Amino acid sequence: MTEILTLARKEITDLRRNRFMVVLFAFLAVAVVLSVIVASADFRLKIADYQHYVDALKAAGSSATAPEPSLFPLQMLRGGIEYLEIIGSLFAVVLGYSMITKEKGRGTLALLFSRPLGRYAFIGGKILAVVLLWVSTVAALFLVITASLLVIGNAPLHGGDYVHLFFAAAHTAVYLIMWSLLAMSLASLIRRTGTGLVLALVLWLVVVLIIPQIGDTMDPDNQIPGGLFASLQVDKSHEQAVMAHFTGYETTRDLIEQTSVTKQYERATFAYLGIKNEYNQQPLSFIWAGTFNNTLWLLAALAASVSTAMLSGTKKIILRKVS
Amino acid sequence: MNRWTAVIAHELLCTMRERLPQVLLAVFVGMVAASAFIGSSARASVTGVYSEAVRQGLTTVPNPFDSLSPLYYARNSVIYIVLIGALLAIVVGVYSTLRDRQARTMDLVLSRDVRPSFYLSAKLAGLGLFTALLLAVSAVISIACISVVAGRIISVDDGARLVGLYAVAWLFILPFLCLGMLAGLYATSVTSALLIPIVVWSVTIFILPLLGTAAHPVSLLNPVASPPAIQSGFFAVTSNLVNPLSLGEHFKHAGALILADPQATGTVTTSIWTILAFAIAACVAVIMTRRGRMRSALHD
Amino acid sequence: MTATAISTTALTKRYGPHQALRELNLTVPTGEIFGLLGHNGAGKTTIVNLLTTLMEPSSGTAEINGHDITTAATAVRRSIGYLPENVQFYDNLTLAENLIFFARLSGVRSVGSRISEVLDFLDFSGHENQRMGTFSKGMRQRAGIAQAILHEPSVLFLDEPTSGLDPQGVAKLRETIISLNTKLGMTIFMNTHLLAEVTKTCTSIGILSSGTLIYQDSVDATLKSFPDQESLEDIYLHIEAGQRA
Repeated sequence: MTEILTLARKEITDLRRNRFMVVLFAFLAVAVVLSVIVASADFRLKIADYQHYVDALKAAGSSATAPEPSLFPLQMLRGGIEYLEIIGSLFAVVLGYSMITKEKGRGTLALLFSRPLGRYAFIGGKILAVVLLWVSTVAALFLVITASLLVIGNAPLHGGDYVHLFFAAAHTAVYLIMWSLLAMSLASLIRRTGTGLVLALVLWLVVVLIIPQIGDTMDPDNQIPGGLFASLQVDKSHEQAVMAHFTGYETTRDLIEQTSVTKQYERATFAYLGIKNEYNQQPLSFIWAGTFNNTLWLLAALAASVSTAMLSGTKKIILRKVS
Repeated sequence: MNRWTAVIAHELLCTMRERLPQVLLAVFVGMVAASAFIGSSARASVTGVYSEAVRQGLTTVPNPFDSLSPLYYARNSVIYIVLIGALLAIVVGVYSTLRDRQARTMDLVLSRDVRPSFYLSAKLAGLGLFTALLLAVSAVISIACISVVAGRIISVDDGARLVGLYAVAWLFILPFLCLGMLAGLYATSVTSALLIPIVVWSVTIFILPLLGTAAHPVSLLNPVASPPAIQSGFFAVTSNLVNPLSLGEHFKHAGALILADPQATGTVTTSIWTILAFAIAACVAVIMTRRGRMRSALHD
Repeated sequence: MTATAISTTALTKRYGPHQALRELNLTVPTGEIFGLLGHNGAGKTTIVNLLTTLMEPSSGTAEINGHDITTAATAVRRSIGYLPENVQFYDNLTLAENLIFFARLSGVRSVGSRISEVLDFLDFSGHENQRMGTFSKGMRQRAGIAQAILHEPSVLFLDEPTSGLDPQGVAKLRETIISLNTKLGMTIFMNTHLLAEVTKTCTSIGILSSGTLIYQDSVDATLKSFPDQESLEDIYLHIEAGQRA
């Protein structure tokens, strides 16, 4: 255990001193804060528009009323979560990949493995470092997010909101750790370092962008700007009645989406943050029950990536594969 | 064969032997082919939903998809060009210049009677030819798949529009190709050479549009444009600043117009000029790289 | 052809505040095999980088076959061949594909026959269709010499050519260098650490210490000038120590 801690400590010190990695994390934080600024500006515009509309009604002498746009602060995080989903996972891939390849490139693998280390000590130290790094980074990112919601978004947050934010943060940490470990496994397994990165990037492209994109574009409601049902003037209650006749198609579409761990992460996080309307302002137990499957799949993906990393990060495999 | 064609032929040979471009190429061509079938499936479901809504007496409006041309099936290709095509270009560009720095073959080249600007221009021409061939093959595949899905060979006009789309796609890909080459020339490590242009790409494709229109990143993957935010106040300022830089949105806009998307409005000229300006600026930046920079050592 | 192959006048190179090369005055007559000796960081590779026009001097001038390295860099590049230390190639390409590429860049006319001629000369035929990624260090070094002499340069620069080679490889390379000089008449400028090799290969030497040329003479004259010293290695250490003192 001491060796794992020593290796993890070395790894974290190394990453902390790596200016490039620090810049990447700062970039991620800036992107997330920007998305809150934009969401807040968008909401203010909607309020201003509403006010103009009400004033116009009053000026016309109408007594009709219109519902005021409601502010659900956590919904402002949609853009930020999508950045973590797309760009965050890309950084996670690079982080995990470079943690193995830098040892190969510097020739320090021989120095490490010529010491009396346990079979899983090397990779154990790397995994621990990845976990600690992402947990602390995600914690810091969500602190920044909360602060920007309070300060920039001027949004009142209640006790329950913080719990929801915590659950979203936990899912984010799991998601990013999974990507780093997956890339770490590929870097260990593949003979040529460049090819390992290729496979990791192609996997990222397919899982993060292509599969969700296919699922998204197969959604009939996404075929027309503003939504198909809106253009057909069909309301929500009738929409479900119509779609009940297309369960086969919808199930296929859902299955395609479910093969992407990114979509599992998105569904769970959007539910906790109330971005998906059916979960907005709902109690935690209701969201947990509704998204349990998504969380479970995410955890299964994490377990698979930890196991793969452990099995591929042994001396036998890594040293055999150094080109 | 003169020096110019020697470098072009060499570049083509090296690029085709690299594994990463090969894999990305397979993904790209596969997705272009799949694009028509995804479009067909979506169209069939929309028609089914419409018929069901009519049967239940819920709507009287005409089927919004009735008048769509077969080019509808190519809409997803635009997204795949923005996602996979641009990434492929970045990776090919990075490997092109990094190859010479990693193997220190740049010294072998530059100790000959070869000017840096000439060598980089010829390399760029080789890569430009490679991407042009790739897109030409994609265009043929796209035309064939759409013909299969539509059940008839598409008209000459539609074929010409598809060729036009891939021609603009080449122009769109060029700045990313150059970006990759520049990263390969200027980065201090292999990882940063690959990562920096991918970060720039993600900013151009996902972050700039959000600043200008409040469009959510994932919705940008949908070929159907989301309704823009009201262009006043904050967004009036930001959209003026970031719209010219949102290269992906310009290509999607031009693509939608070329594919005769009924929802697309405006003209294609501004978008094409913007893409062209980026392409020229990027090519000039590559060609102007100095000898010392080309020879600089990598740290990993 | 001029009688002087390489000449430098007050050649200086600075990297920021660090002076890598100080007012170097060096002359290498045509037909010599010149060995440049010096400790790590003495500035040997910097000289080669300057003379091969890969870098520009901070001040001073240098000429290769009468062509100035700054104002007539193109003419210089036409007349030189260069083998960098630890030469590498495009590993995904075969030996032939690599050589064809470099031959065309050098403006060689009958590429195919010239490559065969060079490979025959180097006794290296039969590997043309093998990918460079599979080559041993010694094979790479010979491929490196092949690319350097494809265009029949009159001056050949070799940067630590024996680095990483086994004794057989070193002996083979020595034979090659000597035959390039005697049979093809090339002037050869090489940086090296292997002093025993210098005695067997070079006709003249120079010693560089912290960017300054502290000694230059023929190998024979050098050996005669220091009768008390047993070998060139002892002479080198003696001269270096004298400089430090």
